[in-house]
Amino acid sequence: MSTYKDRYKDADNGLRFQDLVYQGNFKGMEPVPDGILGDKILRQRAKSKVLEKVSKEDVLRDQFTLDELNDLNNYLAWNIWDVLVMRATEGVSGMIPRQEYEILAFMQEFLRWPEILEMTTNEIGAQGVMNIGASARREIGTKINCVHDWCIGAVGFGMGRCGLLALEAIQPQDYVRESNVILKFMQRILWGKRQDGFILNSQDRYRCRIHEKDVIDSLASQVEYLEPGSEKHDSLVRFNAAAELLSFLDHYDCRLGLGDTGPYALPDGKIMIIRDLFTNEEVYDWSDVCDHEKVPHCYTLCLIIDPEKMGLDEIRVNDISTTFTRPKNYIEHIIGGAVFVREKWDTPMGEVYPVKVADLDKRLEGIQQATFKLYTKFSRMSRRTLIQNGMYVYYIDMILPHLRLAGTYEKACKDYEFWEIDQRVSNYYYDIVKRGFAQATVPQKIFSGEGYLPFPDGVSLNRSKYYWK
Amino acid sequence: MNFAAEGYNSFETKKTPSGIIKYLPDPKAVIGLIQSGKLKEHILLVQGGTTTFLAPALSMGSIGVITMSGAPESHLGILSREFQMPCVMTAYLTNSDTRYVTGGNNDAHFAAIIKALEGKKAQLHCEDRETGRVAILD
Repeated sequence: MSTYKDRYKDADNGLRFQDLVYQGNFKGMEPVPDGILGDKILRQRAKSKVLEKVSKEDVLRDQFTLDELNDLNNYLAWNIWDVLVMRATEGVSGMIPRQEYEILAFMQEFLRWPEILEMTTNEIGAQGVMNIGASARREIGTKINCVHDWCIGAVGFGMGRCGLLALEAIQPQDYVRESNVILKFMQRILWGKRQDGFILNSQDRYRCRIHEKDVIDSLASQVEYLEPGSEKHDSLVRFNAAAELLSFLDHYDCRLGLGDTGPYALPDGKIMIIRDLFTNEEVYDWSDVCDHEKVPHCYTLCLIIDPEKMGLDEIRVNDISTTFTRPKNYIEHIIGGAVFVREKWDTPMGEVYPVKVADLDKRLEGIQQATFKLYTKFSRMSRRTLIQNGMYVYYIDMILPHLRLAGTYEKACKDYEFWEIDQRVSNYYYDIVKRGFAQATVPQKIFSGEGYLPFPDGVSLNRSKYYWK
Repeated sequence: MNFAAEGYNSFETKKTPSGIIKYLPDPKAVIGLIQSGKLKEHILLVQGGTTTFLAPALSMGSIGVITMSGAPESHLGILSREFQMPCVMTAYLTNSDTRYVTGGNNDAHFAAIIKALEGKKAQLHCEDRETGRVAILD
């Protein structure tokens, strides 16, 4: 018997997925837990209304107020902790120096994104930015998704500013104007996508039900129902896992390669998760091995889960596009699925085509070959090359889908030298390995929440940074 | 049953894979194991909870993994669930008080686990919601 629907009642505080608690900027106050209760507490402690449902007019406004900026800073800091604190225990990769490339990318984003996002907003207007978000409501296999949209603010602003503060390269009163540019871009994309007034899944009890009803109906009508334990069930599960693995690998062990939405309630009481797995991103030179194996840009899987057989108590589609459940193992309760292919990122939706479950094994071989070839290629790369490539995955890919749809990607490359690394960040390469900065200091600042210092009272919303020391 | 080690359980499963524990220190060792054709004879022991390091082993059907850091929310935790491959994470020796410390120097802790487990015939037990266990069969 499932109880997950209880999580959607106003009075319900959700389950705790971890024992840890969050302190952040709330010194002297009760620490904050994860999940639905954590979201409630953050919203109670906010000084503004920016964490409640906001109107289109609010979103179109040019700037956030100082209180709104600080509320968003606190909320994103908690949200980052909520989705990533346990992941952060994973230690070194042994393959890709992820902590090193992450911190460099955070700082590069905070320094370089504002003018590129401002240029994009100037080109297409604030409404145009919201329309990019809204495009995800009628598409599958699009990187206009939770993780990319969240990264604009949580990573580019939140972690980027946090990293530079930790390095003492900037002070809390610096870059207010630029922070506003980043956060406004994020808010417009996410609001346009959700269209329920919220911007984050955690504000909606970890639901990301963005697709229009006719899109859901069309996808659900193409699902093949499977007996758990059957050969077809095994094929679907095997394919899902292998494609997800290649998506992680092509994106340098980060979550930009996958995107879940849902849970969508179906008329028969089952729930559907729609999962995009980006198995071949053409912007990366190393994806040539995926081309050779004829692996498409994206496989989209519709997974039907039986919540009753599972005894589902809570399901979270979090803001980095990943589904977690209690109990944890939803895989053995998948009772149906459908798979779709988007060959290129700009393949029209009308040309997205389905693949029968019985035909998945033929495609699995290409995925496995691409995975092995990519791994072999990475294993021969120098540490420096791996770090630079990882930086590109974060810095370029997190806003690539938005620039592509805005038609400003080429302009960003040509006029704004999008693929160049800022000289300051290049120099930080040598600093981050000293005194455990990347391995210990930054993770501690990010995951304790101590590093997200508020903007000081009275600081001008137009303040940038005027001197370096 | 003698459980030599335990840690976070990445997902609940009745599968109880058994094999010789093999520590994989670097990508070369991963590629070597794949090419040996003996992948499915081993429970893999790795330091990190990340996915890319073990990518080809996961893809080619490894039967079980023990990590010395990471959690079910880590990328390897997520992928082990998707592959339905039992995985005990941030394992520690049950006869020792040392534990993994995020961001700390864990070299001695890791070395002790490798010394105690490598080469032993083991079975993973991952029925519990929270805790995965490693039984030594020798």
